[in-house]
Amino acid sequence: MTGTTVAATDAASGLPAVPLQDTVLLPERIGELTGLDGFGLGGELLATFLAAFLIGNLMLAMTGVAGPWAKRKITAAFTDRIAVNRLGPAGLFIIVADSVRLLSKELIIPENADRPAYDLAPIVVAASALLGFAVIPMGSGLHLADPEVGLAYVFAVSGIASLGLVMAGYASANKYSLLGGLRAVAQNIAYEIPLVITGMSVVIFAGTLQMGEIVAAQHETLVEIAGISIPTWYAFVNPFAFVLFLVANFAEVGRNPFDTPEAPTEIVAGYQTEYSSVHFVLIYLGEFLHIFLGGAIIATIFLGGPAGPVLPGIVWFIIKIWAVFFATQWLRSAVPRVRIDQLIEIGWKGLLVLSFANLILTAVIVGLIA
Amino acid sequence: MCVRFEAPNVTEMNDWIAIGALALVGVLIPFGMMTVSYLLRPTVPETSKRATYESGEIPTGGTRIRFNIQYYMVALLFVVFDIETVLLFPWAVAYQDALAADIPLARALGPMLAFVAILLVGLAWAWRTGAVQWARTPRQLDADRP
Repeated sequence: MTGTTVAATDAASGLPAVPLQDTVLLPERIGELTGLDGFGLGGELLATFLAAFLIGNLMLAMTGVAGPWAKRKITAAFTDRIAVNRLGPAGLFIIVADSVRLLSKELIIPENADRPAYDLAPIVVAASALLGFAVIPMGSGLHLADPEVGLAYVFAVSGIASLGLVMAGYASANKYSLLGGLRAVAQNIAYEIPLVITGMSVVIFAGTLQMGEIVAAQHETLVEIAGISIPTWYAFVNPFAFVLFLVANFAEVGRNPFDTPEAPTEIVAGYQTEYSSVHFVLIYLGEFLHIFLGGAIIATIFLGGPAGPVLPGIVWFIIKIWAVFFATQWLRSAVPRVRIDQLIEIGWKGLLVLSFANLILTAVIVGLIA
Repeated sequence: MCVRFEAPNVTEMNDWIAIGALALVGVLIPFGMMTVSYLLRPTVPETSKRATYESGEIPTGGTRIRFNIQYYMVALLFVVFDIETVLLFPWAVAYQDALAADIPLARALGPMLAFVAILLVGLAWAWRTGAVQWARTPRQLDADRP
């Protein structure tokens, strides 16, 4: 474990006494391991590319498990069905079967489609979600980059997705798609502000936007109950902000009860109505990547990132983002959808006001304690 | 409260190179999938297969239409608040440090409160004029008229 500050573990709680923050980021680690760092700039660039490739494929693998398999299994469990169980153990090989099936479907492009935009939209949606993972500290050395503006960067790149969705909706030349695209952008702009403002209340505690340091700031002990020390994860420090952020995040990634942009009972499939074959796969994949990116942001700024006892960091990180994914699927099975006008009013009149109240209260309380 | 650790042993520049590399990967993977699909998929041209989907009916009218003006108001409001959040970020980062440097609370907090208050007045105005509502039907608009 060269180059990592592996912390002395606190014997009583199992939580690390000193943060497990990586002082060496993934590109450099790969450069060392493969010996590429001896080849000057070219070697460094190659190592960086390999690291980015690793992170990208890790996230793709997760969406691969989530999309064709976990989503079906979870929904089936909620509705008392069995779902996929024929191929492989617990039906896991459906992932391979489904990806081959979807990629070999005929691509049907509607007559009046705006060609460059129609083809670019899926790439924008998928790439914008993937970009956000660059600054997420995933533990066990899996941390691609740690710029000082980390948190603002994540919000910025995940916001690019709305551009992709409106491109998809407009370029399809379909009325359902257009409505879906407009709804998606109206929803994203309504919930982006509560999301960022609530994230800011965390920045007040941490005093930095750098993701690595936000995680490091969550390692102190908040209270000790019966020998188990509860860390200063911001979900425990400010549960109100956590709930607000969770709700705003579900709306931002367009999940139930806020999935009006693709509401199947109202506008067929929204912006993806006219998409088929690989184009559809990419939009679908991008949506799952966005759910996981939302989960990764929540894990990083509210749940201590990769921190946790016994298991290695990456395992805890995956557990946390899958917990958020599970929550989205739970809501999908349990909660009815809100109407589009209700959705806009909840965003602007409810969450926005609450998030400002949370920000001001946090600032005042922090100011009075300090 | 505010714990600081040694910054990672990389320059700022390397961070953005890594992010650029991920952007490259993020574009290459979709292109790769599109290429694989291009090699695998069949093409069976057929009349009216490419017609716009309108629940099985013959499609009527176009989609290149004008949007409701109220939608524009929501978008405008978003720009205002989004710029506000960008301007608040530096304050949020510096707040704890300012308090630690014994700057009185009123001076550290006051300007931000004033700034947010002005914008909340704007939100209250938008709320009253109905700008933060989804496009209303003509009947609803008639009902609102005095």
